[in-house]
Amino acid sequence: MKVRKVWVSTLALATAIAAAACGGGASTTNTESGTLTVWLMDGSAPASVVDGTNADFKVKYPNVTVKVELQKWGEIGTKLDTGFAGSNPPDVVELGNTLVAKYAAAGALEDISGKKSTFDNSGTWLQSLTDSCTVSGKLYCVPYYAGSRAIIYRKDMFASAGVQPPDSIDGLLTVGQKLMAANSSDPNFSALYFPGKYWYAALPFIWDSGGDIATQSGGKWQGSLSSSGSQQGLTTLSKLVSSLSKADKTGDEAKQDAAFAQGHIAMIIANGWEVGVITDPKAGDPKLADKLGAFPIPSSKAGQTAPVFLGGSDLGVAKKSTHQNLANAWVATLTGNKHMTEMATVGGVIPNTTSMLNLGTGINAVFYGAAKNSRFVPNSQNWASVENANVIPDMLVKIFTKQMPIPDATKSASDKITTLLNGS
Amino acid sequence: MGVAIAAPDLEPAPRRHWRHRVNFLPYALITPSVAVIAGILAFPLGMLGWLSLQNYGLRELIAHQGEWVGLDNYTTILKDPLFHQVVIRSLLFTLTCVALTIFLSTLISLLLLKVRSAIRVLIASALVFVWATPVVVTVDIWQWMFDYEFGVINYLLTQLHFGNYIHHNWFDNPVQGLAVIALIVVWGAIPFVTITLFAGLLQVPGDIVDAARVDGANAWQSFWHVTVPILKPILLIVTCLSTIWDFGVFNQIYIMLNQRPSSDYFVIAIYSYRESFGVTKYGLGATIAVVMVLILLAVTFFYVRETLEVADVQKEQMA
Repeated sequence: MKVRKVWVSTLALATAIAAAACGGGASTTNTESGTLTVWLMDGSAPASVVDGTNADFKVKYPNVTVKVELQKWGEIGTKLDTGFAGSNPPDVVELGNTLVAKYAAAGALEDISGKKSTFDNSGTWLQSLTDSCTVSGKLYCVPYYAGSRAIIYRKDMFASAGVQPPDSIDGLLTVGQKLMAANSSDPNFSALYFPGKYWYAALPFIWDSGGDIATQSGGKWQGSLSSSGSQQGLTTLSKLVSSLSKADKTGDEAKQDAAFAQGHIAMIIANGWEVGVITDPKAGDPKLADKLGAFPIPSSKAGQTAPVFLGGSDLGVAKKSTHQNLANAWVATLTGNKHMTEMATVGGVIPNTTSMLNLGTGINAVFYGAAKNSRFVPNSQNWASVENANVIPDMLVKIFTKQMPIPDATKSASDKITTLLNGS
Repeated sequence: MGVAIAAPDLEPAPRRHWRHRVNFLPYALITPSVAVIAGILAFPLGMLGWLSLQNYGLRELIAHQGEWVGLDNYTTILKDPLFHQVVIRSLLFTLTCVALTIFLSTLISLLLLKVRSAIRVLIASALVFVWATPVVVTVDIWQWMFDYEFGVINYLLTQLHFGNYIHHNWFDNPVQGLAVIALIVVWGAIPFVTITLFAGLLQVPGDIVDAARVDGANAWQSFWHVTVPILKPILLIVTCLSTIWDFGVFNQIYIMLNQRPSSDYFVIAIYSYRESFGVTKYGLGATIAVVMVLILLAVTFFYVRETLEVADVQKEQMA
């Protein structure tokens, strides 16, 4: 009954959009035709959600063919640049929330400020995602979903080492050392597996001790990784990594779930959906399902949690798209109540609206909770350059491999960030 | 025919014979190839040069309209300390790779001359296999072999008691990491150079080598004073080609380091790509590429001149 209600309301919504779009009413919804190209990121939405969205869309627009193309995160910057540069860009694109500002500022995305109210829950969208879509006061995308990180741990390993999830960073080190001692016969054992380039997981430690990536004043950005707070956070993290992690100090987090599933790791810092990868029959080990627990990344102040990076994706419509109305209608279908609920319940991600935050149950509740104390990278059109230049991962590698002392590594990274963020 | 294509006849021709003097046929015949070469070489190079004189970022890319900045991009990179490091690193890397490639390939091609034909077929097939496998595939395999956690190299070195290589990170230290990458580049370059040199060695007349032996030359002397001079044109060509290829190395570094090489691993091609596609400064990226071509021209000038001289000498001998 409920589903039907949602379906009807979505249909009504789409009709409303179509009516608004057609203005004079020269044509009706059903006669619009063409091919809509949609770029979604590989692994974002479960196939069932995408198929369901397309099926619902087909009912409303029977003459429109939707071509969903899944893109890989690794090369997405280059793909988007060339895609938007062409005269026939994809109509709908999923953009990592740190990338929107760059493309909006460059004129690649349609300004949808006037259409905001046509999307479900636009009044209760997650603030951090809405901020990522807003450039110079204008809305350039629709929040899609969010992800925040917490620590996934092996309950059985904790039990046999006689430890409990810690509630402070000092506690994390102590617990980790006990786990290392309890598993000293395993040369591959990591109490906390932390690959060197995993910068998303390093940010909470920086923020928790009062540091930041960059601060803005008078329209100018100033890198602040070399501030005393940032350095203190990195010192703490560096100590954790050197005593608890056997992960590749020059590697990234791409393989961490597969590594965790092999059974030589007690804790990883991960997104909620990674539980699914760890217990996947092909990529991981389904037997671990009831051995996994999660707790928030602790703060240096006992009993509190560290602020985490709120990752996520937004959906934008290309400015050069010749099917902007259809594109917005497709986005409205995917981000409507019905499919957004599925994204949370089937996909395990944090939905785009605070009104659905009660959907997180079990282990997912920890990740939903972490999202409440979350922060974001500098919201600048040049941030993507900082990301693509690997400034923070390179700094972390230099620190963890002890190629450079923390003050020098942070100074060099901070200067680079200042230059890149203020670049034209 | 030759006269018709070369310099025009300076002697004024009687007017009525003009039609018969200028033969358009050679020009007509050469036009398609010139057009193709211009299309596939001159046009992109021209575009690159034109792009290097503009401020061309994402906004300009989307609007298809750059902003003319003259030589600003060139001044920027010449002042950039990272660029200086990158150029020096690229030159040293190229020198190492080319020297190793030529040295090892010469040894293997000499070996091919000495072994029984069955063994020769075996070695040649192995070389062709290496050559025929796409670079992306081979580099992926190398990456697994050198993997920090699951790599067979670390396992073998430990099992063979070369030390404890469990969790040895080959890319912690950039010098070691670049040595691994040089190994992969040289491994991939050896087949072509070896087979080319082997073909050259087959042209060395046996009687000259025998004569040198009879005159009392030892193996090294007959190689250095007889074989090498005859091989010189081929050695020059393969050295020149190896230099061009190794100076432009990209895939091996980019794939080995998971598409996110740190600045310690930047060679000039990686740096140009990073500036263009990483931080979307296409103008600056183009400038780096232009400088790369200029450096390459300067470096290969020597080889080209030598090759031309050798060709001239041989032409004279034939005439």
